[in-house]
Amino acid sequence: MTENAPASMYRTDEGMGLWEHRGKVAAVGVGHSPTARRWDGRAETCVGAISLIALRRAIEDAGVDPAEIDGLVMDPVTTTGAYWPKDKPVPPEVVGAFNSTDNPLDGIAGLSAEWILKNMPELTGIDFTMYGPGCMSNAICVAAQAVGDGLTHTCLVLKSWHNYEGRYYQGGANAGSDLPGTAALHALWGTPACYGTALQFAEYCRKYGKNHDMMAPFIENSRQNGLKFPEGYWASHRPEEITPEDYKAARWIAKPANLFDNDLPIMVSAAYLYTTAERARNMRQKPVYILNHAASNTRPRSLTPTLDEVEADTARTARKIYEGAGITAADLSFENMYDGFAQFHQFHIEGLGYRGMKFGEALDFYQTDISIHGPNPILPSGGNIGCGRSRFWMHTDSIQQIQERAGERQVTGVKPEIAVSGGPMPLGGRFTVWSATPD
Amino acid sequence: MILISFDIDGTLTVGDPPGILPMEMVRAVKEQGCLVGSCSDRPISAQRAIWASHNIEVDFTVSKHMLPDVKAEFAADVYYHIGDREDLDRRPALEAGFEFLWPHEAVEMPWVEGT
Repeated sequence: MTENAPASMYRTDEGMGLWEHRGKVAAVGVGHSPTARRWDGRAETCVGAISLIALRRAIEDAGVDPAEIDGLVMDPVTTTGAYWPKDKPVPPEVVGAFNSTDNPLDGIAGLSAEWILKNMPELTGIDFTMYGPGCMSNAICVAAQAVGDGLTHTCLVLKSWHNYEGRYYQGGANAGSDLPGTAALHALWGTPACYGTALQFAEYCRKYGKNHDMMAPFIENSRQNGLKFPEGYWASHRPEEITPEDYKAARWIAKPANLFDNDLPIMVSAAYLYTTAERARNMRQKPVYILNHAASNTRPRSLTPTLDEVEADTARTARKIYEGAGITAADLSFENMYDGFAQFHQFHIEGLGYRGMKFGEALDFYQTDISIHGPNPILPSGGNIGCGRSRFWMHTDSIQQIQERAGERQVTGVKPEIAVSGGPMPLGGRFTVWSATPD
Repeated sequence: MILISFDIDGTLTVGDPPGILPMEMVRAVKEQGCLVGSCSDRPISAQRAIWASHNIEVDFTVSKHMLPDVKAEFAADVYYHIGDREDLDRRPALEAGFEFLWPHEAVEMPWVEGT
């Protein structure tokens, strides 16, 4: 059985110095599945099937013989809010289309490493599997550490998402009448998921004299970038921009967070191929070296972090990021921090001190040229706002930008040399520093 | 005068997910003299693009919560909103003083005859 990565694999503390594997691990291959708004019930589009597509594309992209791959790191959870109804039969034709595990919903409502290996017979050399649960941000930190530690030399990293009919976060245990502990306050009797961030944003606006309309250029820029991401949902299915007029006219979900401050749940899978710096040099794509990975394990004092807690933690996270990578904010070519919810992106980048930014300055920064063609690109991936809910566009984009194969999305106002990406939340995120060179 | 507001996703065939009401029906209703438009969670610019791509000149395109604005702007004898969601269509429509129709009810309305 595959186990969760131990806490020791994440770099959560300050004062750890340079990452011991700095520049010795690289991302090479990228593979994405097609996207869909919801699962259509067919075997070939279930979350397991799209994961196989992403993995095989990553292998092909890296130009690696599948037999050479000896590691698999992934997240076994494929949703945060779309649950298989308790009384709904599992479709036997879908289960029967694959080599199944003991869990009939494996590959449909979740994904084990065992399911993947049973359905990818070409992976004959895997002797290391591990879960980095939560999102791709976690899994790539675990993979980087595992490659650096010598637990695997050629490792696939996978994150997949399913989505079903019905409203997100409204099914499963959330549809019942009781939940244990504080989960009841959030999920059962509580607020929309964006409420906590909206609360922080309201305090942010009060503290710094800003307003919701100032987010409009960020949202417009994110969607424009996302529409240049051919793998993304919006580019593939609904090439709709979000103009400032659109944004300001949208309904509130939890004021001051509106509809377009939230992302759209989708079906999608992405895989990367990680390897050692030495092996990467002989692969098909340009290596993107990992300079560091860092994590936040900070717990808020109450149900929702206060703005003060957020700001303290994003600053702390930035110190960890820079210390382990041996860089400063001035070294960043661009940033790809998480945005799902849009209103905490500025917390991430203010913590980073991106382009000299201080707390309270991001919304003013958004009023300047933040495009991929300017000197200060903000979220060139477009993130979840630009591409749909996956929590991994920013990682794919960071790799592709540095490999200089981001296509229409390629940054042109800066030379793509060093980038940082990660998330999800300001408290509790995982972050990676990417580089065109190992030192 | 009849005013008809259409939800898009889950209501019109061009929606995501597709609904059951074809754009030809909207066009026919418009040609009969009804005031017609969309009230959707789609960006307003995207709503306009949908109508333009079908060569249907609508009277309004608004966000989901703006039915009261539509009622304030247009004088009509009766206001309808057609949609597929209890929480995002039916309830706010009734609160805004609109009659509400599910898509399968809309196709039975007399102003749809001949479409």
